[in-house]
Amino acid sequence: MENVLNILFCLTLLYLGTTTRIMAYLNVFVTQGILLFVILILPLFNKFSAYTFILPVMILAVKAVLIPIFIKRKIMLELEVRKSIESDFQQFNFLLLCVFTMITVFVSANMLAKYTLIDSIPFAAAFSTIIIGLYIIIFRKKLIVHVIGFLVMENGIFLLGVSIASEMPFLIELISLLDIFVAVFLMGIAINKISSTFAVDDITGLDELKD
Amino acid sequence: MNILYLLSGLPLASGALFFTFNNLKVKYRLSIFTAGTHLIITYLLFAGFIAPPQNAWFNFDSLTKLFLMILSNVFFWVTANSYKYIKHSPIEKIEKSRQIFYNMTNLYLFANTLALISNHLGLYWVALESTTLCVAPLIYFYRDKESLEAMWKYLFLVSVGLAFAFIGILFLTLSAHGTEFMDNALYITVLVSGASKLNLIWLKAGFIFIFVGLSAKIGIAPIHPGEVDAVSNSPSPVAALISASLGGTALMGVLRILQILSWTSLLQFAQILLIIGGTVSLAVALIFMFRVTNYKRMIAYSSVEHMGIVLIGFGIGGIALTGALLHLIFNSLNKTAFFFMAGNIHRNYKSREIGRIYSLLNNLRWTGILFLISFLAVIAMPPFGLFFSELMLLQGLIANNQFVLMTFIIILLLFIFIGMSRNVFRMLYRTTDKSTRTFNEHFEFSHLSAIVLLCILAGLGIFIPEPLAKIISDVTRLFVHGI
Repeated sequence: MENVLNILFCLTLLYLGTTTRIMAYLNVFVTQGILLFVILILPLFNKFSAYTFILPVMILAVKAVLIPIFIKRKIMLELEVRKSIESDFQQFNFLLLCVFTMITVFVSANMLAKYTLIDSIPFAAAFSTIIIGLYIIIFRKKLIVHVIGFLVMENGIFLLGVSIASEMPFLIELISLLDIFVAVFLMGIAINKISSTFAVDDITGLDELKD
Repeated sequence: MNILYLLSGLPLASGALFFTFNNLKVKYRLSIFTAGTHLIITYLLFAGFIAPPQNAWFNFDSLTKLFLMILSNVFFWVTANSYKYIKHSPIEKIEKSRQIFYNMTNLYLFANTLALISNHLGLYWVALESTTLCVAPLIYFYRDKESLEAMWKYLFLVSVGLAFAFIGILFLTLSAHGTEFMDNALYITVLVSGASKLNLIWLKAGFIFIFVGLSAKIGIAPIHPGEVDAVSNSPSPVAALISASLGGTALMGVLRILQILSWTSLLQFAQILLIIGGTVSLAVALIFMFRVTNYKRMIAYSSVEHMGIVLIGFGIGGIALTGALLHLIFNSLNKTAFFFMAGNIHRNYKSREIGRIYSLLNNLRWTGILFLISFLAVIAMPPFGLFFSELMLLQGLIANNQFVLMTFIIILLLFIFIGMSRNVFRMLYRTTDKSTRTFNEHFEFSHLSAIVLLCILAGLGIFIPEPLAKIISDVTRLFVHGI
């Protein structure tokens, strides 16, 4: 079951490779948040306790509700961001790059699993998410899309943590979630200010500082 | 009372309290109280007068004590001088920034202290990310285009970098899979004591990710732009904080992993990476030293250079490692004084462009002289400490028969010196038609602070007091075994 969810996670990444609408990017992020919630909550059914549910519920609240609402209300509506993502990279090539990356990651994870103790499918799904999040940051121009790319990357890291069963203390997980939320909050404010002072909302305007 | 409450609780409490009122002067006085208390406790810990608390989450070994001392010292001087800089800033109409200044610096002190004393890599990570979040609004202090861009770049670049570091930390957990301590694998002391049992593949991957991720925050080429922009566009007290203390905190993460690696066969690999990172930083600093037109950016690139030197020192080990530790301390003292003087120039000339600063030595007597002395210290003139620490680095290179690298580093340092002095002397001596304009400068507290810091710098170059010598030899023992 976990593997199915991880594969579903990878499918959301392929959708990122095909779509050009910002709303779709945001929806993918919400879907990933829900998937993370389900992945975290599945193993808990055998040993039910209210305490263990706090983290998955917080993740659902932050990643699938709070951050998307913040981005939608505060950034997209106020700025009237143009609907498409504007890239300097052809969409089809981007999809090819994503597919190629995922294949490479899955094959190498399979090889690694022979030597070390990792579950190849969750590990590869997590790592593909991180790399594709990075691609979004590198190949897209809009600042708001960069933030979503960063969030996708963070989702990947979270999935990686789950896949290698890292025992992060509960409190640290919660604070790191808060840290990410505050970071996105500050980035959101910065984007708002940037678009009002620079009159652009992509990186082409940010060239004041150079030597 | 537990000193942990005083060290981290006091800054947190004052930072939170400051959100409830708006009196800048009161905030300033309370901040000085917090910074002073922090400095006193840190010194007592440092000199061994009080015993550190025992707690699995916190680690008060010699490395922590050293970095805590650096942070506390820089923070104290920055806070003591900050009022004048933010009250009479070159740009007006920034009341909102002034109001949150002390709130954020106190929260920064809390987060940074927590990062330094944490024994758990997860705790270290969240604290380090929090320092980024505290510093970001401070970078946007002037509320203009440049500072906005700088804040965005710093926030985004460092956050992505820290995300990489987090992957590295997860890899470290993976490297402990199958060992008996796998459930406690993120405690630094546990990892160090069980280093020989770790899986080397994941340990190597973990080091690479952590080093690359944190280098955005340390300010090491090629991921230095975020740090340089942040330092050059924020007010001087903030620039001093980022350049002299925050880089060190991020470096601490790398050093902790290096400490683990020193018990394995991967040490050499890590050292080569550090040397490459350091040398590239020196080369980048050299290129930009000839291209900069902004004196604050020039000092920021000088930070890139000095962090590069520190990394090379750690990469070589032995006596160069001792040199690197001293270099870190000296650099923090020097940069704080340098940024104070740069702030004075900015406030009087209302410009950060080198081309617009003229006859500094005539116009601003005290600032000019101290700017010149800070510059002499930065380029490692004797008797200032940086000369002796760089000498130790070269000694280490000779001891390791790295003559090619040594020649290369000396050439880089020489040209950095030429590039930097070209800019500095232009500011000090160039005359223009406008030279008749008079500046009325009195002896201020910032001058006194710079004199004290530079005197400590020169003093430490000649004589290293007993507590410091002991701490440094203890730290060296963390990395070099069997001595």
